[in-house]
Amino acid sequence: MDQIKGIAYQIAGDFGLAWGKFFAQVIIFIAVYSILKKYAFGPILAMLEQRRQRIADGEAKLEKIARDAAEAKQNTQAILDKAEADAARIVKEADDAAKAIQERRQQDAVASANTIIAKAREAAQLEQEQLMSQLKREFGRMVSDATSRVTGKVLNTEDQTRINQETAAQVSA
Amino acid sequence: MLSSTLHSTSFSPLLANVPSYASEFFKESNLSFITTSLFVAAIITGLLLWFARKATTNMTLIPHKTQNLFEFIVEFLFGQVEGIVGAKLAPKVFPLLATVFIYILVSNWFGLLPGVGTIGWGEGTGTLSVKEVHFALLRPPTTDLNAAFGLAAAMFVVWLYITIKEVGVWGFIVHTFGPKGGLKGIMGMMVALVFLFVGVIEIFSIVFRPITLSFRLYGNIIAGENVLHTMSGMGGFLGSILAPFPFYFMELLVGLLQAIVFTLLSTVYIQLSTAHDDHGHEEEGHH
Repeated sequence: MDQIKGIAYQIAGDFGLAWGKFFAQVIIFIAVYSILKKYAFGPILAMLEQRRQRIADGEAKLEKIARDAAEAKQNTQAILDKAEADAARIVKEADDAAKAIQERRQQDAVASANTIIAKAREAAQLEQEQLMSQLKREFGRMVSDATSRVTGKVLNTEDQTRINQETAAQVSA
Repeated sequence: MLSSTLHSTSFSPLLANVPSYASEFFKESNLSFITTSLFVAAIITGLLLWFARKATTNMTLIPHKTQNLFEFIVEFLFGQVEGIVGAKLAPKVFPLLATVFIYILVSNWFGLLPGVGTIGWGEGTGTLSVKEVHFALLRPPTTDLNAAFGLAAAMFVVWLYITIKEVGVWGFIVHTFGPKGGLKGIMGMMVALVFLFVGVIEIFSIVFRPITLSFRLYGNIIAGENVLHTMSGMGGFLGSILAPFPFYFMELLVGLLQAIVFTLLSTVYIQLSTAHDDHGHEEEGHH
C-alpha cells in the first residue's frame, strides 16, 4: 500500500499535480461551462428550436395550401362538369326546340302551300268556268249570228236562247 | 521514476526538453497555483466568451456568419450526443459534454499557435533569444495534467450524479453486478458469480476512468508538443520551418481526435450506466 502511495506521489511530482492547481483548473472549466451554457448553448438551442418550429409550421401551412389547392381544383372540376352538363342539356333543349319550331314551320309552310295551291286551283277553276261561259256565250252569239245570216231570218229571243243552249251543250260535250 | 525512465531511453537526446508540467508564476507562495497553463486557460475562457457573445448577439432566424458557425457546431454536437444518450438525457448532459469538447479542442489547437511554448525565459544567447526555454509563458491547459485530470474528474462527478439520478443507487448496483440473460438454476448461479466478478472489474475500471481519460489526453497532446519542438530544433533556420510543417497538420488532427475521444467516451460512459435495457458492459475505449 505504501509502495502504491509512493508511486502516486512520484507521478504527482513528475507531472506537477497539486490540489491548488487542480482546483484552479476545475474552476476555470466550470467558468467556461457556465459561460457557454448561458451565452451560447441556451440561446443557440432556443434559436434552433424556434427555427425548427417555424419550419414545421411552414411545412404544415404548405400541406394545408396543397390540400386547399386540391380541394379548389376538385371544386372547380365539379363546377366545370356541372357547367358542361348544363351546357349540353341547354344545347339539347335548344336543338329540340329548334327541331320542333322547324317542324311546325314546315307544317305551316306545307299548309300555306296547300292553301295557296287550293286557292290557285279555285281561281283557275273559276277563271276556266268564266272563260268557258264567255266562250259559250260568244260561240252562241256567233252561231246565232251565222244562223241569222244563213237563213236571213231575224232570230227572236227565244230562238237565240235555244240556239245558245244547244251550242253550249255541244261545246260542253 | 517515470521521468528517470524516460531520460534513460536512447531517444532522450533527440527529444526536445518540453517540461512535463506547467511553470508557476509565483513559486513557493500561496499563488503557486497560478501557472502558465492556467493563464492560457483564462485566455481561452475569454476567447470563448467573446466568441459566444458575438455569435449570440442580435440573433436572427436568418443567421449571421458567426451565429451560423456556432449553430452548426452546436447542432452537430447535439445530434451526436442525442444519438448516443437518447433524446431524454441529451438536453441535460449536452451543455457539459459540448463544453468539454470545445474547451479541449480550443486548448489543443491553441498549442499550435506560434509562440505557445516558445516564448518565455531561459538561458540567454543574444537579444531576445534563448538557448532553451525553461519558462514558457504560454502552455495549453491540456498539456497540464492538472487540467486534464480536472476535466476527467468533473466528468466523473457528473457521470456519477446522472447515473444515480437516473437509475438510483440500487439500480446502479444491479446494473453493475446483476446477472444478465435470465438463466435459472445452477447455470443461473454460475452466471451470477461470473457477473459478480465482472462487476468488481467494472468498478475498478470506473474508478480508473478519470486516470485513463486524463492521461490519454495529456499524453497525446504533450507528445505532439514534443514532436513539434524536436522538429523545430532540427536542420537550422530552414529546417526549423520545414521539418515541423507536416506535423502541424498531424497535430491538428490529433487535437481534434483527442477532443472527440474524450467527449465520446464520457458520453458513452453516461449512456452505458443509464441504459435501462441489457446492453453489454463495453468499457474503456482505447486510442
